[in-house]
Amino acid sequence: MAHLNDGTLRRMIDDPDARAGADALHLETCAECKSRFEAVSKDALAISRLLAVPDANVNVARALQLVRSAPEAQPRFGFRLPVARPGSRPIVIGLAAAAVAVALMVVALAQGGVVFAPSSVTPVPVTLADMQALSQLSSYGTVTWTEKPQVQVATSAAEASTLSGLQAPKVASLPQGVSSNLTYVAMTQATAEFTFSAAQAAAAAASTGKALPKMPSGMDGVKLTVTVGPAVGEVYGNLTAPTGSDLSQANLPELIVGKSSAPTATSSSSQVTVKQLESYLLTLPGISPELAAAIKAIGDPSTTLPIPVPIQYATSSKVQVQGVQGIALGDNTGVGSGVIWVKNGVVYAVAGTIKQSDAINIANNLK
Amino acid sequence: MSGVRSDDESFNALFTAEYARVVRIANRVLADPHEAEDVAQEVFVDFHRLHSASAQYAPAWLHRAAAHSALNRLRGARRRHQREIAQAVQESDRTLDPQKQLEVDEDRRRVRQALARLAPKPAAVLVLRASGLSYAEVAQALGVGIGQIGTLLRRAETSLRKEVTRGTSE
Repeated sequence: MAHLNDGTLRRMIDDPDARAGADALHLETCAECKSRFEAVSKDALAISRLLAVPDANVNVARALQLVRSAPEAQPRFGFRLPVARPGSRPIVIGLAAAAVAVALMVVALAQGGVVFAPSSVTPVPVTLADMQALSQLSSYGTVTWTEKPQVQVATSAAEASTLSGLQAPKVASLPQGVSSNLTYVAMTQATAEFTFSAAQAAAAAASTGKALPKMPSGMDGVKLTVTVGPAVGEVYGNLTAPTGSDLSQANLPELIVGKSSAPTATSSSSQVTVKQLESYLLTLPGISPELAAAIKAIGDPSTTLPIPVPIQYATSSKVQVQGVQGIALGDNTGVGSGVIWVKNGVVYAVAGTIKQSDAINIANNLK
Repeated sequence: MSGVRSDDESFNALFTAEYARVVRIANRVLADPHEAEDVAQEVFVDFHRLHSASAQYAPAWLHRAAAHSALNRLRGARRRHQREIAQAVQESDRTLDPQKQLEVDEDRRRVRQALARLAPKPAAVLVLRASGLSYAEVAQALGVGIGQIGTLLRRAETSLRKEVTRGTSE
């Protein structure tokens, strides 16, 4: 019989049941395995001593009360905005920008009853103040998930495909210096409904001490239904997926390649014109005139996905990717760059702490 | 008792069944009971936001999230050293003489640094197993086959020992 492998030996230490049958018999009679077993045992014991900690005494009832009193789940436009300050790593800003992208989409969408279904992308410059202002939009009404997103880490491309229903993209070759340590992330389709509320908007504005522009008549109670995903992503780097909405707790990835069904949105009302909605949202406190101008300049808001470009941190340019026009962000310093494009109703993104030329190269060779 | 539980009841039951264990996992990583409770509560709040408490995967999700959140904190926290020492003195066996106590503290700090340097998976295997999870529970939490746990554990122990030694010789 072949020698016992380390895993089997290790299990024998913890599990008396594993010390039975042919393996146990072999161990009894094989001097080599016996000596390895002793070494493995010694290590296991040493590690358990090293990892010993004083016990935590917990008060379950009190803790339950604390958790129960945590603010009720409030889905927002995308993610919680990580605190952005100068010097934050560009990719964190990138994630914040992703959150704002969804908010911008709501701003730019929605002729009554018309489905927003983007088939192209356009860069929209935003400032940090814009981002903060847009992230507050969620307090101007009620957001409810009609279909919650389930985000799961998958162990293989096949599992990620099964979970999301999308074929995981394949990177042809990694640029130098990017870890080949790969994590798959899958997200199911999610649908959120945002109902504008004049009363809530007024209250939100009052609590920040800011004056609110008057809501157009007929807007109170207008319902926007936003569908995002499903999506599948590949994250390269030595990291763990954030366990919740707190992105600052996550290790930063070196490269992210993602693909998502293009987001869609519909409005329940035909009374409020897109122009009214736009002008209203763009006069909210904190939104810069530049952003307002850029949004107004979008030709056909129902087919264009605005990609926010944080002007303090990134530059953008239009590039040809896979035969369509996409947007490239960042530069060639390797600090951070990304490419975003829409093809056949699917939004693709490649981003990371890589050079822009590498990002474009990955994008063009993505399968 | 009725066969169908409300969401609230399911969550309360899940919380009561798993809270202590989730804290234990985080404490194993952080060696700080208070911070471990912070992590555990965050993990439950996050879970509650996105998942149903009656989901079959709930305990496995919580265990994994506890390990990874705590490890992320450990990796992110550079100034933990001081707090950890203070905490350890406060919480641990005070019958040790001061010299011995210093050594325990120093060991604990070194092990945490080493743990922070391990890749996420081996670090999680070690922490989950050391927190008393069975092989089957560790396997579920990490989404791997139960047959792999012995091997993963052995490799992780070897890596941690190397990292601790490296930390000492630096």
